[in-house]
Amino acid sequence: MQADGKAWLFAPAGLVDGPLPVHYEPQESPFRNPLYGQQRNPVRQVTGFSHPGNRLQPSGGEPGADVFPYVATTYRLTEHHTAGGMSRWLPYLAELQPEFFCEVSPELAAERDLEYLGWATIVTARAAIEARVLVTERMVTLTVGGRRLHQVGLPYHWGGNGLSPGDSANDLIGLSLDPNVHIQEDKAFACDIRPGRRPRGPARLDLVQEYQRRAGITGQTGMEV
Amino acid sequence: MADPAAASGYHDPPPRMGFFTDTSVCIGCKACEVACKEWNAVPDDGLAFTGMSYDNTVGLGADTWRHVAFIEQRRPVPAGADRDGKEGEAEDGLRWLMASDVCKHCTNAACLDVCPTGALFRTEFGTVVVQEDICNGCGYCIPACPYGVIDQRKGDGRAWKCTLCYDRLGAGMTPACAQACPTESIQFGPLDELRQRAAARLDQLHGEGAAEARLYGEDPGDGVGGDGAFFLLLDEPEVYGLPPDPVVTTRDLPSMWRHAAAAATGLMAAAAAAFAAEWLGRRG
Repeated sequence: MQADGKAWLFAPAGLVDGPLPVHYEPQESPFRNPLYGQQRNPVRQVTGFSHPGNRLQPSGGEPGADVFPYVATTYRLTEHHTAGGMSRWLPYLAELQPEFFCEVSPELAAERDLEYLGWATIVTARAAIEARVLVTERMVTLTVGGRRLHQVGLPYHWGGNGLSPGDSANDLIGLSLDPNVHIQEDKAFACDIRPGRRPRGPARLDLVQEYQRRAGITGQTGMEV
Repeated sequence: MADPAAASGYHDPPPRMGFFTDTSVCIGCKACEVACKEWNAVPDDGLAFTGMSYDNTVGLGADTWRHVAFIEQRRPVPAGADRDGKEGEAEDGLRWLMASDVCKHCTNAACLDVCPTGALFRTEFGTVVVQEDICNGCGYCIPACPYGVIDQRKGDGRAWKCTLCYDRLGAGMTPACAQACPTESIQFGPLDELRQRAAARLDQLHGEGAAEARLYGEDPGDGVGGDGAFFLLLDEPEVYGLPPDPVVTTRDLPSMWRHAAAAATGLMAAAAAAFAAEWLGRRG
């Protein structure tokens, strides 16, 4: 966006990954980039973020990518403000969206035995969180490269305190930053979803590590240019 | 009844005020619910996750005077015309209806008719308000409401509902919900003007192909004599949880009393006749 209110397709200066827009797959994608051989943005910021709490997942075509077969996206609800640290304490706002929930299509609910109003556990290589299940046809199942791809919708306004505590969707997200605005990729990442509440205590970490083992994840996974 | 305020004994009352809620532009932000509770100091009423789309309020009650309904509908969605003006095939799609419900401030208000204490009264603006310092919690008004709006507060016992922000109206202000509405889905003003505006909006929507658009509660000839708060809906009223043909529950009360009086008179006459016959018989 420029000062005259218009956006430029050709931006000769100012963008680290300019001057023309191209398509890269997200850091974690169930698919290979259909347009280029280059899978991920080569100038994204991942260097230095290799940490046991920030393991990245293999992407489409790489072994272990099928351990995280779904895509998740996080978003806001009008009733809460950013991560909810303020609005979860206000009764008039908390009562309007009182619990952390995930939105799934009827097709995904059937595939993974997710019960309407029951609990689901969403897992990535970083964390396992639990959410109440809202089954809705608004969550459209996509067809990508001839394959059915289910989406998991996650509002990100919850955390451990307030009148309406709940698990935090942000815990699922890995650090891989956009090179221009340095924002992590919380709009599209791969995950798994399973019925029931998440394990408590050390068993929660065991579950995440079991997923890491199954996907063959190491400190180098997903760090390549 | 043309003007309920004048009929209630106000001399030269101000114009009747009301709400026109145009649900076709509601975005479901619930700002009306929050603004209402903030201004009127209505308590929160529970942190319950319902799973009914984004509606965790469920309905109007003692502690909810504005309620936004969310309805997910699977239906064909017109694809629109292409460059040559040819209409595309309707595709299977999803429609998300949102609508902010409120007390209807009926022209013939049954809650007001049955209130034995005078706590419920007709204001000079033609609206219906409960006085919280007079209500004794008898609860007669609750089954009387044909819309199920007015409700008893638990642990308090008194009846509560939308006041159409009577305190704000007196100061020339707009009710809190209408003030907070970012899309002007909730419009406040003199009822005559709102009815004209609603008719124009309905014509516009019909012209754009929304054949199912309709007004609800705007007709002074309906079972409650028309609502002071009426709506533009995009489907049948039942879809939004509204009664399709509400009737003021006290409508038949005069005729019921007349029938009861006739029955009582008849019984008394029969008893008197029986005594008279007995007395005459003894004399004979």
